Amino acid sequence: MNQETLLVGLAGVLAAAAPIIFAVMGETLSERAGVINLSMNGTILLTAMSGFAVAYSTDSLLLGFLAGMLIGALVALIVAFASITLKQSQVAVGFVLALTCRDLAYFLGNPFMGVAGPRLQAFPIPGLRDVPFLGPLFFRQELITYVSFLAIFLAWLWIYRTRPGLMLQGIGEKPAAAYIRGANVNLLRYVYTVIGGALIGLAGPAYSLGVRAGWMGTISGLDGIGWIALSITIFGGWNPARAAFGAYLFALLQWLGLVLQPVLTQVPSQVLQVAPFPLMILTLLLVNIGNAEWVERTLAAMPEGARKFFAKLLRTMRTSPPAALGVTFERD
Amino acid sequence: MRSRLSTLFDALLPVLATLAALAVGAVMLLFLKVNPIEAYAALLNGAFGSFNSFAETLVKATPLLLVALGICISFRGDVINIGGEGQMIVGAILATWVGLTFTDYPGWLITTVALLAGFLGGAVWGGIPGILKAYFNVNEILSTVMMNAIAVQLMNFLLRGPMIDPAQADVASKIPQTARLLDIFQLPRLAPTRLHMGALIAVGLAVLVYILLWRTTLGYRIRAVGQNPHASRYAGIKVPRYMVMALLLSGAFAGLAGAIQVYGVNYRMITDGSASGFTGSAGFNGIVAALFGQLHPIWSIPASILFGALLVGANSMQRIVQVPSALITVLNGLVVVFVVSSEIWRRRRQRRRLAAAPEEEPSPKPDQTEVQKKEEAQP
Repeated sequence: MNQETLLVGLAGVLAAAAPIIFAVMGETLSERAGVINLSMNGTILLTAMSGFAVAYSTDSLLLGFLAGMLIGALVALIVAFASITLKQSQVAVGFVLALTCRDLAYFLGNPFMGVAGPRLQAFPIPGLRDVPFLGPLFFRQELITYVSFLAIFLAWLWIYRTRPGLMLQGIGEKPAAAYIRGANVNLLRYVYTVIGGALIGLAGPAYSLGVRAGWMGTISGLDGIGWIALSITIFGGWNPARAAFGAYLFALLQWLGLVLQPVLTQVPSQVLQVAPFPLMILTLLLVNIGNAEWVERTLAAMPEGARKFFAKLLRTMRTSPPAALGVTFERD
Repeated sequence: MRSRLSTLFDALLPVLATLAALAVGAVMLLFLKVNPIEAYAALLNGAFGSFNSFAETLVKATPLLLVALGICISFRGDVINIGGEGQMIVGAILATWVGLTFTDYPGWLITTVALLAGFLGGAVWGGIPGILKAYFNVNEILSTVMMNAIAVQLMNFLLRGPMIDPAQADVASKIPQTARLLDIFQLPRLAPTRLHMGALIAVGLAVLVYILLWRTTLGYRIRAVGQNPHASRYAGIKVPRYMVMALLLSGAFAGLAGAIQVYGVNYRMITDGSASGFTGSAGFNGIVAALFGQLHPIWSIPASILFGALLVGANSMQRIVQVPSALITVLNGLVVVFVVSSEIWRRRRQRRRLAAAPEEEPSPKPDQTEVQKKEEAQP
């Protein structure tokens, strides 16, 4: 493989990660506020279908993306209403929505199966496109990929470098304290869940109008992405930068699977298709193992040098969720 | 008097919630320009209209009930098992393999062994996320979903490769299915309908699960861990072990559901390449049925029949009044949302009532309350 094909491949990895980035950033915001939006897998499918359908019918890519965001926000609004106002189990509601949205996508998307529609074209940035190495890697992408870079940066900036972002951390960690500081906890949870939903809703069209243009129903291979994105959110420790790293790592592994397929002909195709899932389980295991009790005990029994090394390793990998994640807030 | 009335109200709450959900569904039907009365009549008629259609409802309810029984165990242990689909698939694979490999033995023996193999396969597929949760803190919702994806690809690989029906291996279409089981291995039918022994097995197991949860130490500990893992730990219960048990048993029942689907309905394992191609989404709908049955094994029986009826009735409703089948999924979802919310509302009411009259509080084992209080006293 020469340098040029490698660069093209890696640029493709950045593009393929874009939809996952949106989904993970959206989920991160929502969970930071304390609401688990478990509907993500269905939302991505539904918005992929509807984004494509709208863009196809109106011939406007922008409207397609807006439709995706709108639907993502609406689904999130249902999650928020059910969990914040009706105080239902977020897991039950989100899960039911995940199934319902998926079925709706397959059903309503039937007329658009396999039709050729509009899609994003590459949008090289003049000047930057010709920078050696960085140009082909970063600056010959589709518009939506640039937006995904921006989303990571903005989400990170918002959470860690602004006052409202500090409040966001507060309502996810210690809602009672945030409430005393004057925050309208439940309203803010609504806002962040809906904004997060809109971001998740961007993931669908980013597939159907971008990296995997078109709508192919059950064989579009998008079923399952939402669950992967949820795992990446956990892997990312609700930190946009680390979550982005996880998304790119995942896209890279998927690409490697594709590249390796012709080489490893004796391996059944299902193995490479399924590889991301055990890998994700393994990653979840690695980021969570530091929280396990027996690990602490084992560490304590280790000799000094080894203990320091492993303790540091575990601390680097470990992530822990916002303390009030999934807990309803009632002032009393 | 007042308390008896409110007990009655509590018992009727799921029914009221279902009616409310159907009312919302009626509004949606009106939007689709369909007469809701006509549509619901078609649904009822399709599900209960004749002896045959009722039998069909029970056939659909059987896997739902089996999965729901497992869900009762795991959710009571506060372990969320979303891996019913994968557990059904793995159970079915093992059971089918038994039936296709050992053809020289008596029918009753192989059928029994095969169903046990299904139970075991599901237990393994549920036990892995259980171990991951209990000893490695891996979120079981995510790991069970991923195990589903792995099971689907395993099924696709086996049914297109090593286990493919020899009759399909040579033709171009290559439908992913196994060979048909010998007649002597199939579960006997109960009537001149498609209803099979599996339905009776499921009902019998519902009683067993009830006994397991409320009359054995294992069940008591699973529920204790689910209600308060910290208190349970101080009471000397090995919490991780019972978390694993909850998920393992839950998976086992789903695995059995898969095996019974093969031995009672299809007589072979067949798919369209997706999980629901084999399971008919019973692994997911079983969760819904269990939630509807308030996570009680006995109440899960009518709940499963209700959702089986919705599935069967939906088909005829779709045929007769031409509504999209997706509407049924939405209806299903509405029913769950309404029922779950009514349940939470009921619990809050109950808590308020208890707060007013604390002496009514049902006391768990004394040593446990003791520990609980100590726990709460600590800062």
